Order: sequence, then structure tokens, then C-alpha cells
Amino acid sequence: MRFPWSDREQRKEALTEEIASHLKMAASDREARGESPAQANESARRELGNAATIQDVTHDQWGWTWLETLLQDLRYGARTLRKNPGFTIVAVLTLALGIGANTAIFSLVNGVLLQPLPYPHPDRLVGLTVYFPKGPLVVMREQSRTMDLAGFSDNKEFNLTGSGDPVRLIGNSVSADFFSVLGEQAAMGRIFQEGEDQPGKDNEVILSRALWERRFQSDANIIGRWITLEGVDRQIVGVMPADFQFVSPKTELWVPLHLDPRNTGDYWGDSYMALIGRLRPGATLEQARAELKAMRPRVLAAFAWRMPDNSFVNASVVSLEEAIVGDARGKLLILLGAVGLLLLIACANVANLLLARATTREKEVAVRVALGAGRWRILRQLITESVLLSLLGAALGLGVAVYGLSIMKTALPPDTPRLADVALDGHVLLFTAFLAIFTGIIFGLVPALGASRVDMTETLKSGGQRSVTRGNHRASRLLVVGEVAISMILVVAAGLLVKSLWILSGTSPGFHSEHIVTARITPNESFCEVPGRCLAFYNELLERTRALPGVQAVAAVNGLPLGAGAEIFPGAVEAHPTPAGAHVPMLWEKIITPDYLRIMKIPVLRGRAFTEADAGSNAQAVVLVSKATAERFWPGQDAVGEHIRPNWENEWRTVVGVVGDVREFDIKRDSASWIDGVIYTPYGPHAIRGSGAAAPPSDMTLVIGTSGDQVQIAGELKHVVAGLNNEVPVSQVSTMKNWVSEAMAEPRSISGLFAVFAALALLLGSVGIYGVVSYSVAQRTREIGIRMALGARRQEVLMLVVGQGVKLALAGVAIGIAGGLMLTRLMSGLLYGVHATDPVTYGAVALLLLAVALAACFIPARRAMRVDPMVALRYE
Amino acid sequence: MKQRYQNRVELLQGTLDLLILQTLRWGAQHGYGIALAIRANSGEVLQVDTGSLYPALHRLERQKLIVAEWKLSENNQRVRVYRLSAAGKKKLTSERSRWAQISQAIAGILDPVAGEIEA
Repeated sequence: MRFPWSDREQRKEALTEEIASHLKMAASDREARGESPAQANESARRELGNAATIQDVTHDQWGWTWLETLLQDLRYGARTLRKNPGFTIVAVLTLALGIGANTAIFSLVNGVLLQPLPYPHPDRLVGLTVYFPKGPLVVMREQSRTMDLAGFSDNKEFNLTGSGDPVRLIGNSVSADFFSVLGEQAAMGRIFQEGEDQPGKDNEVILSRALWERRFQSDANIIGRWITLEGVDRQIVGVMPADFQFVSPKTELWVPLHLDPRNTGDYWGDSYMALIGRLRPGATLEQARAELKAMRPRVLAAFAWRMPDNSFVNASVVSLEEAIVGDARGKLLILLGAVGLLLLIACANVANLLLARATTREKEVAVRVALGAGRWRILRQLITESVLLSLLGAALGLGVAVYGLSIMKTALPPDTPRLADVALDGHVLLFTAFLAIFTGIIFGLVPALGASRVDMTETLKSGGQRSVTRGNHRASRLLVVGEVAISMILVVAAGLLVKSLWILSGTSPGFHSEHIVTARITPNESFCEVPGRCLAFYNELLERTRALPGVQAVAAVNGLPLGAGAEIFPGAVEAHPTPAGAHVPMLWEKIITPDYLRIMKIPVLRGRAFTEADAGSNAQAVVLVSKATAERFWPGQDAVGEHIRPNWENEWRTVVGVVGDVREFDIKRDSASWIDGVIYTPYGPHAIRGSGAAAPPSDMTLVIGTSGDQVQIAGELKHVVAGLNNEVPVSQVSTMKNWVSEAMAEPRSISGLFAVFAALALLLGSVGIYGVVSYSVAQRTREIGIRMALGARRQEVLMLVVGQGVKLALAGVAIGIAGGLMLTRLMSGLLYGVHATDPVTYGAVALLLLAVALAACFIPARRAMRVDPMVALRYE
Repeated sequence: MKQRYQNRVELLQGTLDLLILQTLRWGAQHGYGIALAIRANSGEVLQVDTGSLYPALHRLERQKLIVAEWKLSENNQRVRVYRLSAAGKKKLTSERSRWAQISQAIAGILDPVAGEIEA
């Protein structure tokens, strides 16, 4: 293909030659008729007319290719932008912020919601919406005709011992067909084969590539080697590829599920897990759903005991993406909506700048019209200019996005699903390019339409001084009102979230987190099957830790508050028999050593705390209950002296004390809605296990009251543990403060993002008001001058100008309140302790916006006050 | 300046096109030759302005009604000659009948005896 412009140059030369030959022929004809050569030349030239103009007009007949027109427009646009550096910088920066924020958030949405899952044929992968025990998996796996089902129990932990320091690793127990359902193959060795989840064949493990590199130094002969996981010897049969992860990159090993129907409790009742499936060829999601519904009664009938009729009634089949992403979808869409609004504000601002400039450019446009440019041509030129502007903004915005994304990735809670898939990839760049062109057209269209409608004669006559198009001014006022309204919505949203966060961080979690270092101690589960060995280990560990320098007190608990874990079991309360048909109360049990409450400063409200004696095997079995639990089971009475027990036992346990409520479940809730009570038992033979086992839990967390820091304690603690048992890993050494802070990570990151959006919205909104008011002051200089000449006082001029801005702001705020009341309801799930229509927040934000508007009006108002009537009148 | 030329082009558009196509019917010709032919064939009445002729030629060329090529003239001068294309011949036929209609209609208006148009 030839370049159109080089082609055009050739044609121009040819035309010059053609005209020249015409001249020559005309001259020689005249010579032949007897004129002198000089005279002939002169007459021929005169007859021809202006050769340059003829050529110019002829060029136009060739027509321009769209590319030439575009290049022309771009060159012209670039020149205009260069000539107005102030305008260009403000517009490009505004757009960069708007487009950059959108690009960053879109990268998140793209990575988390839009990118297909990184497994073969991801559209055929499904997930079940509720967890099932092992038995139902086997039943459904055999019966399903629409899908191949696999199960995995995520976030299991395994001690890897015997090769170097003992470490705690996160792994999944998976059914044998797990990898084949995902469609994945091992990079080395093989995946699990059918039947390898049956007892006796399941002593195998597959490693992640990262674990293989880190722990086994990329040993090429690793396949077939035996390692000890959680005290069980397993043979390594495969290593997965580097890019394989399911679901979290933290998962580093996979072991087969142990499907043993003889262990009735485990098989039917205990090990709940997530199920995934791959639709068989020809089967649809709807068919799978229908089939699951039809299978449910058969699954219930297969149970070893009678299940409530409504068990698994909410089970359904959804795409695996939906199953993994879960409620992150809503949050991301809210964020995307918020940045979308931000971009609208940016567009309104730039449109306003363009409108203001359009007035000063009227003359230029009129001249172009006079020179024969059509309206469409002018329109296209102006739109090209605004798209050029937004492309510049987008280029800069990409920088903003890269920076913003790196901040966001660290600010977002690390358990955000698929965060690792988030990157500025081709899709995102495409989105940004589209956004740039789209916004360029959006903000360019109104001003361009206005400008291209210029009345040529009027404008040229008036010299471009007074021909303010009324329409333009109304458009710019409307834009500012819209801008203020959207800012109002964004700032209210941010206000509500920040208030939630503030209430949340001001709410006591029920314990103190100062000067506490925490550490997970995780002997193998089997270690505690001999209770004496386990209790002796922990007694000695507490003893030796207490003796460490700087340590004031130490205690152990089966899981930190804020959702780190607890034993959960169905209970019975004396004198509160469960009515027929009602569910058995579920209890949340913290197993603690006596000093736990004291170190955590959890108050004992009634009765007493535990003592060392309570942990003895001959001691009476006692429990503590939380305040809310006491009020629930024994309202208006003293809980101390009442009785409670797990529903499979016969012996009652006596309540000896009532303690303060603690945020056990998460930072927002003491306990989940399906939990009926929180109790404490002493660590020892009387600890109650959800599995019904007699052994105390092996996995305990130390809480160490200390003035020292965690680094120092970590080293000493590892030393102490290794001295007791060199197969016990110490992990997650941190401080209680960190733990609380992590629990706040999500509300903090979302309200942080919104606060940034709101700040940008305020900034852009105030720039918008400032722009419109100061422009109108400039336009009205003459009017103001006349007013002052006629005796208007400076205050009146001030009120005139400020009043104009405030009127716009008030209209915007009113619309913003209405819009906010509609939109903030969408985010009520993110709020805590504050209603989505909180009048205080709305009022405060409205005042804030008005104050910002006033400030934005102040500078132009001062300029208006200083107008010298004489100068203003002489100006024209 | 340019504007003035453009207006004149538009004014003559159609009519001039028809004259050019008609002239080329007798064979390929260069721009100067076309101007001469029109002047001669109109009994020296129609003076084709160069500023209208070349834009018209290039417009017709773009519409693919005529085809141009460079040739050597009798006195060894490089000239650009135009000839009718197939589309141009068709266009000429239709334009001629249109012209006939229009001139008939105008004649009817100017000479009421021949037509039946009353006030």
C-alpha cells in the first residue's frame, strides 16, 4: 500500500505540469497568431488566471482520504493544544485522574470477574453453593449424569517434618478426580488416579512448584520420595506446573481425601468440603441444577442417620467463577460504579473548560466557516481535538493506574479472590483506549455542537468580544450542577464508609491487643491422641515461655478471636430442652489456659475465671459463658450455677462464671447468626471437641503478654519449642495488634479507596465551580462595571457572584442528596453501625460541599469586587 | 479568493461537465484542447475559464467518468489527455436527455405558444 500523502505530493506535481503545458500551448497558439513571445506569454498567463489558486481548487476535487483529514485535524488540534498550555495541562491532568482511576479499578474487575479461570475449558467448570460431607460426594459422584464431581477441603494445614526445620504448610485434601475435573496435568510425575482416595491407597502427595523449589531445592528425582506430613508418611507422586493454583497461591500441596465409610462420623458428619464439577458434553448448567435438586432426597436417604428434611435445600450449581468470586463481585461493582462517577465529573470539568474556550474560539471557527469549511468538518475537527486531549489524558492515566494498582494490591485484603490474576493486560489497555475515545467524544460533543453552530456574520461583526452564546452558558451551568451532584454522592458514600470504619475501630473487640505477641504452635494431630503427652508438652511450653526475658504472662487458646477458629458443636442447656422441630443450639467453644482472660483483659463479669485446678482430670467439668450467651439462655437470671453440655454427653457441666463479649466471629460480629452461644472450657481432659474425640486439640495459639517485640520473642520461642520437640512448627508469630489490624483490612481498604475517590471528586468539583464562576465574572466584567458605575456597592457585587456559585452548588447538592438516597442503599452491606441514609453524614457532606463551593467562588468574587468601572466600560 | 473560484465551479457544475463529456466524445483531448473545442463549437460564445475547467476535469476523473494519461503532443510536449470511460459514455447519454428535457421545459416557459402553461 502506498502512503496517501506521498501519492498526493506526486499528483500535485503532475497538476503543476499539466497547467504549465496548458500555458505553453496557449502561448504558442498566440505566437502562431503573430504575437511576440513575451506578449503571448503575458496574455496566456492573464487568461489563465491565478495558477496557484486553480491548483488549490483542483486539489480539493481529489477529495481527502479519511486518514489525511485525520492527520490534518490532529496536526491542527496539537497546535491548538500547544498554544494553550494552561488549558491543556488542566484538562489532561483531570482526564488522567479520571481515566487512571477507572483503568486501575477495571484491572481489578477484569482480573477478578472477567478473566476466565486459568483452567482448560473454564466455561464448563461449576461449583456447588453449599458444603457437603464426604458421603454425599460419593453418592452424587456415582449418580450424576450431567457432571463429573470432585471435592476439596481447603485450607487444611500439614506439618512437614523430617527434612530440615518443621514447617506448617497449607494444603488441600482432594478427591482422586480433582485434577482431572479441573483438566490439569502434573508438570512432573502424575496427578491422582481413580481410587486413590480410598483407604490404603491414599498415602500420596502432590506438591506445588513453589514448594518443590523452596523446600526440595528443585530436586529432579523427587518423584517417588517419601515425606512426613502431619506424622503420616506420604509418597510424592507429582509436582504441579508453576502457574497452577487452586484457589489461593498459598495452597502448596494436595493429598487425597480419605474416603472411609467405616468411619461413620467423619464420612457423614464432620469433614464438610466444597464440591466442584465439570459439565459433561452436552449438559447445561440448568440440567445440572435440576439434577442436583432431584438427587437431594436420595442423598439424604443415604445418610447414616436421619437428616433434617431441609438439609442442603439451598444447594445449587453455579459457574465455578461465581463460586470462587462470591461476594467480592458486589464490592468490585460498587467500586467500578464509583470510579465511573468520578470519570463523569472529570468529563464535565473538561467539557466546561472546552465550553469556556469555545466562546473565545468563536471567531476562529467563524473564519473557518467563512473559508468554506462545512459544519461537519468543523465538528469533526473539534471532536478530534477533544479525543486527542483524552488520549493524552489516558496515556498519563496509565501511569496513574500502574501506581494506583500497585497501591491497591497491597491495600486490599490478601484473601481477595484471584488477586494474583490482576494485571494491566491487553484487555485493560483496550478498555482504556476505548474509554479515552469515548470520553473524548462525550465531553467534546456538547461544546463542539455549540461551537459549530456559530453564526458567522454576527461573530465576525462583533469581533468575538460579546457574542457569548447563551446556550453554552446554560450548558456549562448544568454541567456544574451535575458535577456537584455526583461529587455529593461520592463524598456521601465515602463519608458513610469512613464513619463505619471509625465506629468499627472505636468499638472495643472485647479484648485488649496492646503488648501481646501471638504464635501458632502446631504439633501433629496424632501427637495429642495421647492426651497426657500433649498436655505435658503444653504445660512445659507455657512454663518455659513464661521464664523468657520480658515475658509477663503466657496462655494458650485454640484460636484467636476475630475468626481464627474454635470448636463448634451442638449443645444442650439444662431446663431448656430443644422443642421438637427447633434446631439444636450450636455452641462456639474457646479452649483456654487460665491466664488467657487476664492477658486479653476479657472481664469476668460474674462468678470466677478458671484456675489451674479446673484443668485437672479429676476436677469437676466447668465452663464459662459469654455475657450475650448468659442473657440468651438465662435471661434475667444468674447464669452462674446453671448447666450446659454437648448434646452427645450425659454429664452436665457447671457454669462458674460470665465473661465479657468478644468479637469472636469477625470484626463486625461477636458470633455468626447460626451460632447460639459462646462458651469457654479449660485446656485439658475436659475440653470438648466438635468431632467428639476425647483428645485435646493439638493446634493451639500462644498469647504472650510481653513488653518485647515479636522478632525477639519469635527466635526465643522457636528455640524453646525445638528444645521440647523438634518436630513441632512455630508459625504466624505476630502481634495481637497486627491481628486486629488485618481483620480491619477489608473495611479499611474499601473506605480508603472511597475516600480517595471522594477527595478527587471534591477537588474536581471545586475546580469546576471555580471555572464556571470565574469565567462568568470575566464575561460580565462590563455588566459589573456598569452596576458599580450606577452605585452598586462592593458587597452587592460579591453577593452577586457568590450567589451565582452557591445557587449552582445548592441545586447540585439537592440532586446529589436525592441520588445518594437511591444509590447508597446498594452499599449498606459494607456499612457498620451507620445507616445508608444517615442524616448526619448527609448533612455534613452537604455543608462541606457548600463550603468548598463558597471557597471556589471567593477568588473570582474578589476579582469582581475589584473591577474598576472606568476600565471595564472602556474595555470595549 | 479561493472561495470565489469555488462558487463559480458550483455554478457551472453540471453544465460544464456535460460540455466536457460531449467534447471528449470525438476523441481523447487535453485540457487546453477541450477549452478550445468548447469555444469553437459554441461559436466563440462560451469561454471556459481555466479555473473551472481543471477542477471539473479532476472531479470527473475522480468520478471515473473520464480517464487521464500522459502523452506526447505533436510538438513533443508532455500533455495530460483525457478520454471518456464506459461510465462516462453512459453518463453522457443520460445527461443529454436530461438537458433536452430541461431546455424543452425552459423553452416552454419562455415561449408560451409552444407550451400549454397558462398563468
